[in-house]
Order: sequence, then C-alpha cells, then structure tokens
Amino acid sequence: MSGADALRVVTLAAQAEMALVRRDSVAAPLLAQAARAADGTPGGPLLAQAAAMVRGEPDREAIRQAALSLCRMALQEAQAEALGAQP
Amino acid sequence: MLASAGADVAALAEIEEWARRSVVVPPGTEVVDAHVHLGVDRDGHALSAADLIADMDANGIGRAVAFPADEPGSGGDFRDANGRVIEAWAAHPDRIIPFCRIDPAVGATAAIDEAHAAGARGLKLHPVAQRFAPEGEECVAAVRRATDLRWPVLFHAGFGARALAPAFAALLEWVPDARVILAHGGRGDHRALAALAAAYPDVLFDTSIAALPDLVMLPPERIVFGTDRPYGDHAQALHLVGAAARVAGWDATAMRGVMGGNLMRLLGGEGA
Repeated sequence: MSGADALRVVTLAAQAEMALVRRDSVAAPLLAQAARAADGTPGGPLLAQAAAMVRGEPDREAIRQAALSLCRMALQEAQAEALGAQP
Repeated sequence: MLASAGADVAALAEIEEWARRSVVVPPGTEVVDAHVHLGVDRDGHALSAADLIADMDANGIGRAVAFPADEPGSGGDFRDANGRVIEAWAAHPDRIIPFCRIDPAVGATAAIDEAHAAGARGLKLHPVAQRFAPEGEECVAAVRRATDLRWPVLFHAGFGARALAPAFAALLEWVPDARVILAHGGRGDHRALAALAAAYPDVLFDTSIAALPDLVMLPPERIVFGTDRPYGDHAQALHLVGAAARVAGWDATAMRGVMGGNLMRLLGGEGA
C-alpha cells in the first residue's frame, strides 16, 4: 500500500469511526467508501464486514458497537501502514 | 443478531482471533487492564462483573482495574456505585482491582476515605462527566488525598474541547508526586501532555481507545494497557497494542511493562 493509499483509508475510517460514535447515519456510506479504499489491504475485510452490518441493521446498538470495533482496527492497520510498519 | 444484519459471523470470529494474535505477550506476563467501567452508565452502556470476567477469560486478561460507570446516585457522591465495585472485587479478588469514582465537588475526601477503608486501590476522575477542572481546588485536594494514600489517579483525558496540558501542568505543580494515568493516551491534547509528562515519571498513559500515532511516540514504560470496557472492546484494544508494538519496535521487556508491569509498579508492586 502506498502512503497515499494508507492515508486515504485513515481519513475515511476516522470519519466513519466518529460517525459511528455519534450514531450518525452518514456512518454507512463512509464505511462503504472506506471499505472500497481499503480493498486488498489488511483492513479491507474489517471495513467490508462493518459496512455490511451497518447497512443491514443501522439502528441496532450491538451492530454499532461491533462495527465500531472493526472500524477502529482497520484504522489502526492503516495508521500502522502510514507509519511504515510491515503488515 | 449479527447474522441478521448481514455479518459473516464466522469471518467475525476469525477477525477477533486475528486481533488477539496480533499482540505478542511474553510468556509469564500477567495482562492487566487499566480501564474498565462496571455498572450502568447514564448513557446506557452497561457491564456486569460476571460479563467482565467472562470477557477477560476469553481474551487472556488476568486482572482489570474497575471503577463505576457514570452513576453518581441521588447524593452525587458515587457511594452506592463504589460499593458495587467493592462487591465485585470481593467476588473476584484475584481478577478485579477496585478503584473508586468521585465527584470532587461532592464530599470527596469522605468518599475517598470510605472507599479506602473498603479496599479501593485507586481513584477515577472524569472532568467532562462531572464538569470540573483538573486544576481546580477541589480536584487538587482529591488528588492530594489519593496521593497521600499512594493511590494512582486515572483521569479521563479524551474527547473534551478544552486544552488539557495547562490544566494538568497546574495540577502537577500542586501535587508533583501524584501517580497519574491519563486515559485514552491523552488523545485530547496528546503532544502537549506527552511533553509535560516527561518531567513527571509517575504520569502514564493508558491505551484505551487511544490513537496509534500517539502511542508510538511515547516511551513504552509510560504506557499501560486498557480497554475502556464497555465503550471499547478487548479485540480492538489488543490489536491496538499489537500495532503499536509493530510500529515502535517494542521488545519483550517493553511489552511486559505495557501489558501489566507498568501499572503494577504504579500500584505499588505485585499484590500491593
């Protein structure tokens, strides 16, 4: 992943994280965008799962919490990439 | 519920296991979680002692610092909630390290002394939830009392708007020997807090819902593992530490400290 690719995922995942924290409906499209940006990277499957869950049941608290956890892990993976760590 | 929402439950289980494996804990290290809320918070988040212990067992967590959720009670002094944490500790003395929570403006000294007599080992303060300034007279008095008891004081240091470093600089001028844990890696004002903490060896940062770029800039001996259950979860918390170790190149000694040793030192040693 290039530095620019990693930063794109960091940006989108961080926006999605805060949307999930705030229970904002923009979380679903942001997660979908982040999942596309992360496709093929270690965080891709995490964001894809989160996007699918939030798309299916956006108002369920357990879903929100699970998606938040996945989103944060994907964010951490992308940040690690941006900081130069090997996956 | 997760399946009905479109989740691949098997894939989620694999992800959870991957997250657990991402942190390499040196053999013989007891993992200690520095940050858990027990009870039912005003915002609806809830965690029972039984559920906490089950989660700890599933994730290889030996012990956890637990303190009340934001449930100050009708008197505003957290007395009942602190009592419930003590009860949880009594039921799980080898797994829970009880901290008390107070509002510095509501009978703080009495609440601290009562909790100390009951067996509490530290203090949790939340300047945003209880709407006080860390450098305010009442908070300074509470931290002074906790420090006299050789207690660590865990401060929420996360998402508020206010700059935190000037407030903690003032507090530490008043109580320079305070043992302070700044939650969430001090993400509310990390760079300035890290610079401040350099002059105070007993000021540490917990990893709960912290930002990875903040953690990797800190000396590992200043970091303690935390989850912020039930706001955070074990898989994400473990993955964060694993990622930080990978980026920063922490060795086994550093990992032993981050995962428990640093916190136990602040608590005064094993079993103290």
